Amino acid sequence: MREALLAELLKVRRSLMPWLTAGTFTFVAAVCAIFMFILADPARARALGLLGDKAQLSGAAADWPGYLALLAQATGVGGLIIFGTVVTWLFGREFSDRTAKDLLALPTSRGAVVAAKFAVAAGWAVLLALWTAVLGLLAGIPLDLPGASSAVVAGGVARIVVTALLTLVLTTPFALAASAGRGYLPAVGAMFAAMFSAQVIAALGYGAFFPYSVPGLYAGIAGPGHDPPGPLGHLLVLAVGVAGVAATTIWWKRADHDR
Amino acid sequence: MGDSERVPTIEAAGLTKRYGEVVAVDEVGLQVASGDIYALVGLNGAGKTTLIRMLLGMIAPTRGTVRVLGAEVSAGDRSAWARTGYLIDTPAAYSELTVRENLHLIARLRRLPGPAARVGEVIHRLALTPYADRRARTLSMGNAQRLALAKALIHRPDLLILDEPVNGLDPAGVVEIRNLLSGLAREHGTTVLLSSHLLGEVTRLATRIAVIHNGRLLTEIDPHRLHGQTRRLEVATRDDARAARVLAERGLSPAPAPAPGDGLVLAEEHAVEHPDRIATALVEAGCPPTRLVVREEDLEQYFLRLVGQADA
Repeated sequence: MREALLAELLKVRRSLMPWLTAGTFTFVAAVCAIFMFILADPARARALGLLGDKAQLSGAAADWPGYLALLAQATGVGGLIIFGTVVTWLFGREFSDRTAKDLLALPTSRGAVVAAKFAVAAGWAVLLALWTAVLGLLAGIPLDLPGASSAVVAGGVARIVVTALLTLVLTTPFALAASAGRGYLPAVGAMFAAMFSAQVIAALGYGAFFPYSVPGLYAGIAGPGHDPPGPLGHLLVLAVGVAGVAATTIWWKRADHDR
Repeated sequence: MGDSERVPTIEAAGLTKRYGEVVAVDEVGLQVASGDIYALVGLNGAGKTTLIRMLLGMIAPTRGTVRVLGAEVSAGDRSAWARTGYLIDTPAAYSELTVRENLHLIARLRRLPGPAARVGEVIHRLALTPYADRRARTLSMGNAQRLALAKALIHRPDLLILDEPVNGLDPAGVVEIRNLLSGLAREHGTTVLLSSHLLGEVTRLATRIAVIHNGRLLTEIDPHRLHGQTRRLEVATRDDARAARVLAERGLSPAPAPAPGDGLVLAEEHAVEHPDRIATALVEAGCPPTRLVVREEDLEQYFLRLVGQADA
């Protein structure tokens, strides 16, 4: 496992993937901060040209709890795409670049290769979530929002990280799609299908029982009046994650690698 | 006599792979002895790559068994891979990594002690020194093939399984790789199984050649005895159909010549050794030969004739 992990880290280090994903989350944090800046004083934002004359903002409170919840929601929605892209890249590139065949008959087992890829994806997702939280906190200081306390900040950061973890767990089936589909496209398709279904099913009111809607609802995307998903929702997320890892590992070990 | 001399390095029995109705590999049995350079030759789609992937445990056989370096590959035993180097299909490398980094990555996955020294050694051996710190994406096809071979050789394997190893190399590169492989077999006892379209190259390099067509292993040839195996007697008469009957009555198996109207071909050793007796028999039967030639086929003609016969 150690050898496979070091090999994966070398590939990641030399790629654009860390920069692109960190850049995207930096952008996400910046957009959340700008949104709060506008929400805190809409008249000032109108004067600066950041808000249209007739635009009305609603659904978020211009305070620290609201700001941290917004960051968590952005992590949930953006995370599915970004973490999904990371997982898709880690697995799909081996087939698009035809390098998978060089990983199949080695002293390092295929299971170790798959585990190393998931470990790198998980580690990077946690770092990205922490990066988003730290950037958000730093960007929030000059906004001078009300409601700051160590409990609010700790709770907000924890919510961002847990949302990221829930989202990350849901990306494991994309690894299977990229592997069995032998490239990026099937995984990208699966990712968009999951995202679209999450939106529709959450809008219909059944999001607490649909795994891909759970991270967003946990982050508070439905608004303050809605309950977060219960244990069943979280259990379903875990089930999807475990099934994704198991199916991907079995596929790498057992499938006919004939391309 | 060591075990390696008694136990074949590769042993496949009844190896079959079906994809629905399509039979990609059909009841192939082969044995490759230690130190052999064993070549698989066949047309595109003959089943060479599928067979090689089955030997490497990448494709599960529908039927049959594979044993590599004593490990039951078909039963999931992976113990042979530490001693096996391979190159499958087109060469591939991580494009964003340099040649050195690509090799370092493989050295790591192969758990080699002192990977930096092994990487340096194989870079030198494959003449990749000028490109060592270039990204793989900038390599020419020939150098990409060298990098793929370097990955196969980095751990000094006892067995090399190479699918089209000289693809993309220039003539000097082909000679270099031929010398490298024969040197490995001669000096280190490395066993090599390779597939190739380049029949001339295969004749120079291989100690045994297997002809594979439509998934079936048609024959095995010893290239040093190719002379005896590939001589044919060509007979033409004014009535080839009658001549064929006459020859068949005498226990021979005349086959039509590859080109229509070119007469008959006899492969039996006694016919090739005694064309005078064939001429006498035909004259006595009233269809004297208009042409009687003992022709020696090169591997290319022999291969095409075998494949043609198999298709017929």
